[in-house]
Formats: sequence, structure tokens, C-alpha cells
Amino acid sequence: MVKALVSLNADLASSIALRYACQLANMISMDLQTIHVEEADHEGHPPGTGWVRRTWEKGLLETAQEEISQLINAERASCPGLTSPKMFVGERETEVLRELEEEPYDLFVEGVLYSFSSSNFYKKIRSKLYRQAPCPIILVKNLVSLKRVVLLLEDGTDLGLRVTTFSKIFEGADVEVDLFHLKFQAAGRLSFRKREEATSISRQEDSDDVLKAAKEMLLASGQTPRGSRMVHDTPVKIADSLRDYGLVVSYISHSMGKKSPLLELLSRVPSAILLCWQ
Amino acid sequence: MKILVAVDQNPYSAHAVGEVAKLAANTWANVTLLGVRPKKAFKADRAGGLPMRWGADDTLLKALRDYRELFLTNFTEEDCPYIQREFGYELIEVRKGVWEELYVSKSAKKDLRTRMRLGNPVKGILAESQEEESDLIVLGCNNLKGCGWEDGTIVPQKVVNEALCSVLVVKEEKKVNRIVCCLDHDKVSQQSLEMINQLVTLYQGELEIVGLTEGEELKVEVEKKMDAILRYYTARQIKPLIEVVQVSALDSFISQEAQWGLMALWMGKKSILEKVFPKGKVNKLVKGSESSVLILR
Repeated sequence: MVKALVSLNADLASSIALRYACQLANMISMDLQTIHVEEADHEGHPPGTGWVRRTWEKGLLETAQEEISQLINAERASCPGLTSPKMFVGERETEVLRELEEEPYDLFVEGVLYSFSSSNFYKKIRSKLYRQAPCPIILVKNLVSLKRVVLLLEDGTDLGLRVTTFSKIFEGADVEVDLFHLKFQAAGRLSFRKREEATSISRQEDSDDVLKAAKEMLLASGQTPRGSRMVHDTPVKIADSLRDYGLVVSYISHSMGKKSPLLELLSRVPSAILLCWQ
Repeated sequence: MKILVAVDQNPYSAHAVGEVAKLAANTWANVTLLGVRPKKAFKADRAGGLPMRWGADDTLLKALRDYRELFLTNFTEEDCPYIQREFGYELIEVRKGVWEELYVSKSAKKDLRTRMRLGNPVKGILAESQEEESDLIVLGCNNLKGCGWEDGTIVPQKVVNEALCSVLVVKEEKKVNRIVCCLDHDKVSQQSLEMINQLVTLYQGELEIVGLTEGEELKVEVEKKMDAILRYYTARQIKPLIEVVQVSALDSFISQEAQWGLMALWMGKKSILEKVFPKGKVNKLVKGSESSVLILR
């Protein structure tokens, strides 16, 4: 059984993330635990110490609990396994990270609204929580149907990690899996036809090898990919072509800079993304 | 729902009529096809010796008749709510236990009117929409003349700016794959939600609800409204995508998204869209956008 932690706030992004997690829980064997961290800064600095502080924290939690319970109760009918949330007062990232380290979670799920500007996405990716999370993360941007999943493959990356992570979560699930081998093209770059044809052939040969290896790994773990292909385009265009997928599985590495085309692609994907740190 | 379709004699108007017919097939709306003849054209005819009345061979009248036929081709005779039924005898219970065979006429369930007006096209369309309390005005245009109508007059742009109800400008050349609806306030009418619902069904396109924000985050009331809209459509088996766009990036967002099909803007009295889309910009959007444009009021 997959044990997942879902971070909730009383907002639209969390509402979407919770509904998405419930959809996933109805597809696979999954134990959902929700968590809410009430950030003290929202209400000013914590007063005093001892019982004064504890009383103040209790008051904060009671208000927050009501809002989060409303969110959970709205989904309970379609997601019977939902239990009461774990509630904390403190710094959100620190508390969630502590929870992820203390309990053996296989997956962390949270929502962020899909934005035309990528700054919020980059902030998330660079955050302490994301960089130190001990498990894969699903970042839910929209409530999309989870019937189709795509695994993004790039040269020189650990294919095994993505395939194992995906197979572990989706073991026995009825989903269509596609494999995309990415070759990024710079936006607006001109290419000369003859040279382009020659590089296109060698690109295709490279891709065939990568796709074949990924296919074999998937088959060995009990999943049969529906289709596989090489995709050569700009990050924005590739992201747009992934709109129909309910989940985009990608690796991510600490060394990725802001100009990484893969990060740009992931920021522009409107669906949910499963991030596997490499 | 009352739909007013304002037409001229260009092929884009026929395209608009066809689109409205498909919409009406789902909604059973009352539809008026309106042609407005500029007075000067009428005077010219009169100078040519024609009497001051609509001749049977009047080109606009002829076009309107063709549009009516085109509209009706989207319905089968049995299912068409717009066809006047024939007169005939029908046995009707007039009192308890007493039946009488009465000579009755079965009227059409819904109205399909063909109307002509004389005068300035923009004023004529606006007057008709107000007098008939239309919910939606539909006009066609193409980008060849910058969305202008006959004689290059910018009828669609002016109607979009001046109308009190919602206006849909249908671009002839564009297939609608995606309907992008921009929202920045929480006053969204049930009717406009249903209108979008019908358009999604009609075009079988994706729906995207865009929340506009001046800062980093959406206003709480807008976010709550978007949640309600998401639930409304999800319950109807439509899964819209939600996107947040900063007002400062709206121009580039629109130019990127416009290629996909239909751009809808929910304009409200307190809407920042009214600020960022003053008349000039709406003109630009209608004129320059590849996509059809729907202004929801």
C-alpha cells in the first residue's frame, strides 16, 4: 500500500490537490494522510511562552481545523478513507519535512495553481521542502483525469529511478502509459534543412535506444507502455502537447538552473507532475 | 435564452448563423436574425426609381431568407422547435368528460424571427437587443478587413463596446479547440456559466478558467468563485483547467492563447478587465485576435 501525505490549506490549490489525491486513492491501494500547518506569522508573532503560548496555539488550530475539516468533509463521500488531518502550528516547510522524515511516507502531494508566470513554480522547486523531501512529490496544478500518464526521458539521466517510482505507485492500476524522449529545441532557432535532416536521423537513433531501455524496464515491472516516441520541440510547445495527460512523471536534479529547458517545460505543464529527485 | 444574430451579406455572417444554429439546437433559444440597411443605401435605391419599401429582390432581404434556411437545415423537421405547425382539427377535453374537436393551430415552440431595420447598423443592432432584451448578440467577421463589415465599418467592435448584454464575435476562419474564460471578480451569472457550458458542448473543446490577479495571488473572493465554477463544471462532466495570470502579462497571455479558439472575458462593473480592457483594447482584441471573442456581461 502506498502511504501518501497531502498538505492542505484552506484554498483552491489544496481543494484541487485533495480531489486529485482522492482520484488516485480510488485507483490504487493508497493510505491518505492529510496535514495542515498553521503558520504563526499569519497571525503575528507568538505571544509569550508556556501556557500562554499553548493557549494561543490552541486557538489558532481550532479556527484552522474548522476550515480544513470543511475541505475534507466535502470530499469524504467520494474518498471514504480520508481521516482527520494532522494539525501543527509553526513554519510550514519545517513541520511538513519533519512529518515526512518521521513517518514512512511513499509520496507527498500538494497543490499549486497553474500560473502563466513560472515564479511560484520555481520557488517551490527551490524550497527546502522540495530539495530535502525523502520521497517523490506530486505537484497538482489542475484537477485532471488520471487515465493517461507520460514518463519524460532525457539523455544521461537515471531511467530506472523514474520507472521504479512510477511502477511502485501505480502497481496494478488501470492507466495508459506513454514514454516521451525529450530533445529540446531553443525557441525561435532556425535550422537548415540538410543539416536538420542529418541530425534528425542520429537523434532518432539515440532515442530508439533510450525508449527501448525504458520500455524493457517498464515491462519488467509489470507495466506495458501504450506508446513511445521522441519529441523534438521547444519546452513551451512540448508542455502544451502534454495537456491531455493526467500525470507527467519527470526527474529533477539539484543542479538544474533556472534556464533548464526541463524546468521550463515542467513549469508550463498544466497537469499534475510527479517529481523524482535524482 | 434570446439570441440576436446580426448579419450582413458576407460569408462570415453565414458562418455565424451556422454556429448559432448549432448552439440553438442544444439550448432551444429564441433567435432573431437581424439585417440593418444603411439609410444612404436605401436613398440610392429610391433615387434609382424604386419605391420606399423592401423589394422582394432586395439583396439583404434575400440574404436573410437564405440565412433562415441555413439555420433550419441544422434541424430535422420532427425535432425543429422553430417550424410553425399546420392548422387542423384536434380532439380536446373542454370540460371533464366532454371532448370537442377544435380547429387549432400548433405554433412553433420557439421563435425564429427574421428582421430588417433601416439606419446605422450599430445603432440598429443595439436598439434591437435592448428592445427585445436579448441575452446574447452574435456577429461574424474575418480578419481580412480587420473584422470590419461592409464599407469597412467596425460594427463588431462597436457592438462589443456598447452592448449591455453578452456579445460573441465569431471568426470565420478559426476552429475552436479551446475556450479560455478570463475572470477577475466574483459576480458571475448562472446564465453565463450555462452559455460557456453550451459552447464547450458545441465545440467539444477544452475549457480553461483563467483567474486574473494584480499581485502574486488571487483575491479570496475570486478564488472561491473559481472553486465554485470548477465544481459546477466538474459536476457536468467537464474538467476545466484553472490558470492564474497576472494582469501585467495579460497581453502576452492572450496573444499566446488566442490561436486556440475562443477567448471569453467576464466583464463586471468592478472588474479590472474594464480597466485593462478599455474600448480601444477591446477593439484591438476583436480586430487582431485570431480567435472568436465572447464578452460576458
